[in-house]
Amino acid sequence: MDEFPSTTLGESSTIRQRVHSRNRSFISQSSTQSVSQATKLPPRLRTPSIQHRTSTDSLRSNVTNSDILSPIPRRHHHLQAHESRHWLSTPPLSPVSTRADSPLSARGLSPRALRQGHTLSFSSLTGPDTARLRASQTHVTHEKKTDDGMARRWVRWMHKHNIKQWVLPCAILAVTLVKWCIGLGSYSGKGNPPMYGDYEAQRHWMELTFHLPVTQWYTYDLEYWGLDYPPLTAYVSWLCGFIGNRINPSWVALDKSRGIESTESQIFMRSTVLFFDALIYIPAIVLFTRIWQQSRSHRTQHVALLTLLFQPALLLIDFGHFQYNSVMLGFSLLALNFFAAGQDVLGAICFSLSLGFKQMALYYAPAIGTYLIAKCIYLGPQQGRSLFIRLALATSLTFLILFLPFLLPFAPISAILHPITRIFPFARGLFEDKVANFWCATNVIFKWKIWFSKDHLVKLSTLLTAAGFLPSVIVLIYAAWKLRVQASEDKSQNKDSGASSQLIPLLPYALLNASLSFYLFSFQVHEKTILVPLLPLTLLLAGSSHGSETFELGVLVNNVAVFSMWPLLQRDGQAIPYIALTLLWNRLIGYNPLRPNKQIFLRYLSLAIYTAIITLHALELLIPPPTHLPDLYPVLNVLISTPVFALTWLWSIKREVEVSWALGGLGPSSASSTKSAPLPTSSSSVRPGLPDRKLTSDRLGVNGLDGVPEDSALTSSVESVASRQVKSRSLGFARGSKVLQRTASAGPPSA
Amino acid sequence: MSSKSPVRTSTPSGSVEPFPEKKESTLKQDDVIPSSPPSSLPRWKSLFQHDVASADWDILLLSTCFKLLLFPAYRSTDFEVHRNWLAITHSLPISKWYYDTTSEWTLDYPPFFAYFEKLLSIPASFIDPNIVDLQNLNYSAWSVVAYQRTTVILTELVLGIVLQRFIKGAVDRSLQRIISVSLFLHPGFLIVDHIHFQYNGFMFGILLWSILMARNGNKLASGFLFAVLLNFKHIYMYLAPAYFIYLLRSFCLSPTGALQPTKFLSLANAVIIVFLASLGPFVLMGQLPQLLSRLFPFTRGLNHAYWAPNVWALVTFADRVLLKVAQRLNIGLAIHEAGVASTSRGLVGDTVFAVIPNIKPIHTFIITIAFQAIFLVKLWRLPSYKSFVTALTLCGYTSFMFGWHVHEKAILLVLVPLSLLAGENQAFFRTFMIASVSGIFSLFPLLFTPAETLVKVIYSVLWGALIFGPLQKKVYEFPKSLPFVIIDTLEKAYIAGFAALQLFTTLFPIWASRSSAPADIRTNGTTLESPETPADAGPASNLEFLPLMLTSIYCAVGLVWAFIRLSVLYLKQSEGMVWT
Repeated sequence: MDEFPSTTLGESSTIRQRVHSRNRSFISQSSTQSVSQATKLPPRLRTPSIQHRTSTDSLRSNVTNSDILSPIPRRHHHLQAHESRHWLSTPPLSPVSTRADSPLSARGLSPRALRQGHTLSFSSLTGPDTARLRASQTHVTHEKKTDDGMARRWVRWMHKHNIKQWVLPCAILAVTLVKWCIGLGSYSGKGNPPMYGDYEAQRHWMELTFHLPVTQWYTYDLEYWGLDYPPLTAYVSWLCGFIGNRINPSWVALDKSRGIESTESQIFMRSTVLFFDALIYIPAIVLFTRIWQQSRSHRTQHVALLTLLFQPALLLIDFGHFQYNSVMLGFSLLALNFFAAGQDVLGAICFSLSLGFKQMALYYAPAIGTYLIAKCIYLGPQQGRSLFIRLALATSLTFLILFLPFLLPFAPISAILHPITRIFPFARGLFEDKVANFWCATNVIFKWKIWFSKDHLVKLSTLLTAAGFLPSVIVLIYAAWKLRVQASEDKSQNKDSGASSQLIPLLPYALLNASLSFYLFSFQVHEKTILVPLLPLTLLLAGSSHGSETFELGVLVNNVAVFSMWPLLQRDGQAIPYIALTLLWNRLIGYNPLRPNKQIFLRYLSLAIYTAIITLHALELLIPPPTHLPDLYPVLNVLISTPVFALTWLWSIKREVEVSWALGGLGPSSASSTKSAPLPTSSSSVRPGLPDRKLTSDRLGVNGLDGVPEDSALTSSVESVASRQVKSRSLGFARGSKVLQRTASAGPPSA
Repeated sequence: MSSKSPVRTSTPSGSVEPFPEKKESTLKQDDVIPSSPPSSLPRWKSLFQHDVASADWDILLLSTCFKLLLFPAYRSTDFEVHRNWLAITHSLPISKWYYDTTSEWTLDYPPFFAYFEKLLSIPASFIDPNIVDLQNLNYSAWSVVAYQRTTVILTELVLGIVLQRFIKGAVDRSLQRIISVSLFLHPGFLIVDHIHFQYNGFMFGILLWSILMARNGNKLASGFLFAVLLNFKHIYMYLAPAYFIYLLRSFCLSPTGALQPTKFLSLANAVIIVFLASLGPFVLMGQLPQLLSRLFPFTRGLNHAYWAPNVWALVTFADRVLLKVAQRLNIGLAIHEAGVASTSRGLVGDTVFAVIPNIKPIHTFIITIAFQAIFLVKLWRLPSYKSFVTALTLCGYTSFMFGWHVHEKAILLVLVPLSLLAGENQAFFRTFMIASVSGIFSLFPLLFTPAETLVKVIYSVLWGALIFGPLQKKVYEFPKSLPFVIIDTLEKAYIAGFAALQLFTTLFPIWASRSSAPADIRTNGTTLESPETPADAGPASNLEFLPLMLTSIYCAVGLVWAFIRLSVLYLKQSEGMVWT
């Protein structure tokens, strides 16, 4: 028997043979290294001997007619003991790669789809393989169109050269290099006495925390960059001040060091940012790709890592403008990781630390608070209550420790008020600089500051903000309630509070929704605050596939966010890094707005926005603003950016509802269908399959949610059992449904 | 069914890049893929549709973005040198170019480079007229920094295009792509061009273009381009003997050894035309002696302030050690008083040895020629392309090893052609690796500012990891006998030693400043290296010189060893075999 050239596939390939009347075809699959994928499946799914039975069992799996007519003979499982997982792998659709990409990516296919596309006739083996050639050629053109981006190309290259273990260290080294090089340039307020900028503020806090007793931290010379961040920032500043003082006392000398700009002190300051970023944010990202994208291939994880590492907005602000946002974001991301891993208490502590570092983390608070409450509801009265108590204890204890020096035994009773009033500056205006939020954008026609008093504005903005994040609160709670009802039916499940809940896919959307509503509607917002909503959006983007709605919108918002900070970056002398990093990141993730894709609306929106951005930059470069409108360009910037952010806010609500519905936690239809319909959900025959599905959906996490529910994927599943259909639809993940199809066709619940 | 797809064999390799895939690991892997049919585009269109893989665009974009970030980085006096040349060529008539002494940085490059500066000065005058103001010394506004840095990036595109062309006709394209990328992203270029500031990328682009022409069989163009290059920067004279022999043997002579007059004359004419275009105006004005005196200042010492890591660094070091030994043991060695005084620290004067007999320029000249002659005889007997590249490398290498007043930047003259041979086999690869590591490390002292220390170290480590790793996997051979195992181990230990050396050079100044004067000397958390030319010659500066000297000696050991390796490899190359 002729063997399909195994060298063509590079690595060991399995050969599947299918006898169909007189037709004999070969489908070979490249082996994948998706160990994570394979090993995560329950052991019985990996036993090939059971597969045979599956494919004949037309009722419980996605088996087409052809499968029934021509069951697939498999090698004896002893023969493929080492390759037992390879049947799971995807076909070598990508002609350039010896290894198909992530099993869950857009091109990952179920075995059935593979059969449809790549069937070879027996006669084709004798002559030139024209059919196959044509197929490959179409894929070549296809490949050229949906180019993957630099990150994936590089990762692929690294994997091919067997140095994939170097991807992580190399990526971290490279990003460190880039960060340091951004830091070679100017920073906020450089050479701009008497007040300088954020750099001087951070440096000044090192000086004052190091030299003054704790009680004076929030009261000392408030006019000159008084400390207005929560205590953890103060402690970190003290640590930096301590180290700085050890190296060179003049850098942090009290009062005398104001405005110091010596080269060495700059290097010291820059290295502190780099250090804390490497300490908190980078591990948080790495953990994110490991935990949230557990079920995906190493390559996809690596690409996601690169996407997150090189996110331009954060790099520009932290290492160009000079701030420590990555610490706050890193703590929040760690909290998300812990939630996904089911360690809710640790997550709550991390989030408290995030809040204790920078009050901006408050933007996440409604989402995270609601999530934790929803988790308690989801777990049911008994476990939920115990979790609630543990969470409450952990959170209050963390805050207690953070604020300890300002509390009674150590300080007078009024001392606690100083940090609080400093942290929440309602005394300032509605907005300071031009910021791309609702207030500033509408201020063009509706002069809020004139028509309303400050108190009214505070109340109004609070109200609007609350209204803004209310949907996510409702959806989370409601989904938890519904899922609790469903889950309680499956008593076979061990609903351990240690496991992550089904709610976790909702969390990023809730975070996005809440933080965007703060950004758009709350009081006293800075343009840098866009970093807070950008984090959940970039997390979603990192798990999404090319051309999906999330991807397109995520990149658009990221780019617009960088653009919305342009006035700030320009002031800081970061114009060149602004261009370089934005270009680099877009190239890295392989984004090309000119490429046609399915998201027609988003595509035209993106094109319009980019045209506007480029035009604005060109105008600003060529024509100075008219004298009576000095802020013309920043205002135009706001007017371009705000609609995008507002749209994203709406989109986050929409997606959250969709995902919640998909999880089966919303809407009467799905809930009732699973409960009432005479479907195998309630019948004992399918019941053993349920934990798998749950498992899958849990593991899918964010990445399962990347695509819009692709109906094509579902309609193509011809004979799938109704319950499957409902379930997979209700899971709502394009990729998820594919995984289900695959598990269904291949691994049955053992009888 | 054969393991090769039919289309693949019918396509001549090298005609079309089948897929925009970066560095395909082996040719075999292509087999899955049938080559895309030759494009049926009209000819004019294919001119514009230059065959660039998306991986190449990636590299270009990545490096450009990174270089943009380096705009505000440290820049040496070379920056002001080049700015001054812009001013000279823009504001003075050609007759005064080589006479102007407004700035101490007089024009001392050949005329083509002066023309090149003249060309660059035209846009500069539009962007900011202050750039080309002759009196505006040490001008360092943002405009001039951005402009000059941009010109370096843009002119380096010559290098990029040539390297891309190298991939096209290569036997093993994936291998050649790694080598091309390694050259385009070479840390040497990053350090010397994009931070320190020079135009080496551009000029090595011309050199590689010339080599590419030799590979493609267009030897006339190769000779022409090399003549052009010589008129850009005369340091490339180090390589001229190899060019002369190669072109004479393989172009002007027939294989039997008979002179082919037409070819000889065409080559001679090409070279003469180039030199006429370059030197002609100055010959007409009678300025040739002045020009030559600018180009070849024979007033410098054996070693540069920071000893270039060559044989003379080792000799000087041996002299210093012998002096100490002699002083300690009171052996009756004749010690020259002048040698004791000459610590060769920061002074661009003569290095005078205390114990070893002094070296004169003529000695270095004779030794260089003698060594080059050996390699050239070999080249004469084996005039193939690979042999030519090796001989070229060795010519440059010999000059670097034994030349008079060699600058450490000249190591690029060795590393660039040597890179082309890196994928030959394990022995060549190992030579390349040792030479590259030591050569690049020896460039580190050019950037002594603490902020750039991190840049140069991380960048070089990244480059090394991403270039050496895949190349090593492609060519790896097991050491065959015990001596080779020992050598292999020693070489690995030597390379590992660089980590310790970097740690030492980073930490030593901090320690030294702590121990001598705790508070006053600038210290910082990261790094501190002593400046290139210490101002005063006290005991502290003696200590400051120690890391530099150690760097120089340690790199010299590696470079001398790599030189020996390469020489042996070349001379052992069988002549009967056609080594193409």
